[in-house]
Amino acid sequence: MAQNDQALLTRLKDSGLEFVVIGGLCVVYHGVPVATFDLDICCPFGEENVRKIASAVKDLHPIHRLTANQLSLEQTRSSFKDLKNVYLQTDLGKLDCLSEVAGLGSYEQVFQQSILHRMSFGQFRMLSLDALIAAKVAAGRQKDLDAVRLLRAVKERSAKPRELF
Amino acid sequence: MSVLKVYPDSMMDAATLAQMNGEYAMPPDAGPAWRAAAEYGFDMSLIEASLKLTPEQRLAEHQQVIDFLIELQESSQAHGAK
Repeated sequence: MAQNDQALLTRLKDSGLEFVVIGGLCVVYHGVPVATFDLDICCPFGEENVRKIASAVKDLHPIHRLTANQLSLEQTRSSFKDLKNVYLQTDLGKLDCLSEVAGLGSYEQVFQQSILHRMSFGQFRMLSLDALIAAKVAAGRQKDLDAVRLLRAVKERSAKPRELF
Repeated sequence: MSVLKVYPDSMMDAATLAQMNGEYAMPPDAGPAWRAAAEYGFDMSLIEASLKLTPEQRLAEHQQVIDFLIELQESSQAHGAK
């Protein structure tokens, strides 16, 4: 099963959804090379925003990947207003959309701790390094704590003039 | 007439030899977090290499790795299914 994060990000942006990239891809963005097999974002929820997510992936056969009977996203349209998170499997890979991030708070708080970065395929909001460290500490799994060790090293280095290293 | 032979290897210092064998050369001004991560066992040379890339290059490299790993996994599953 493919995992094309750039294509998913572009589709989400084109849908008009406001979001911040969190999770493993953000770890890679900040300079720690880990392999991550899903795209995690934080976004505002409510029916209108879930509709935007649905429109971004409508032709990618999206299913709620954590449901026992693999419900399609379209099948659950009547529940869009009640969702607080969406965990999807699509033809372009796994896409997890969360309404809040442990250690940071709601989307508004996550947004405030994000940075806008321009890339060749568009401008996207990523968690700041400090916010990412706080989120990983709060997540607390071994892989998160391992990432924290490296992110702290990256932070320390970014505070030094580059030529010293 | 005598010929002077130079053996570059004989001039190799122990530290360089150790690095050739995989020992990480800690930057002299590495801070405590960098040293702690290295001492914990992380290969900090990978972090150094990643930090030389732009964020977009890092994401592109990550995509290549993921594509390869997925291909490897699918190939392995196909092989196992035979």
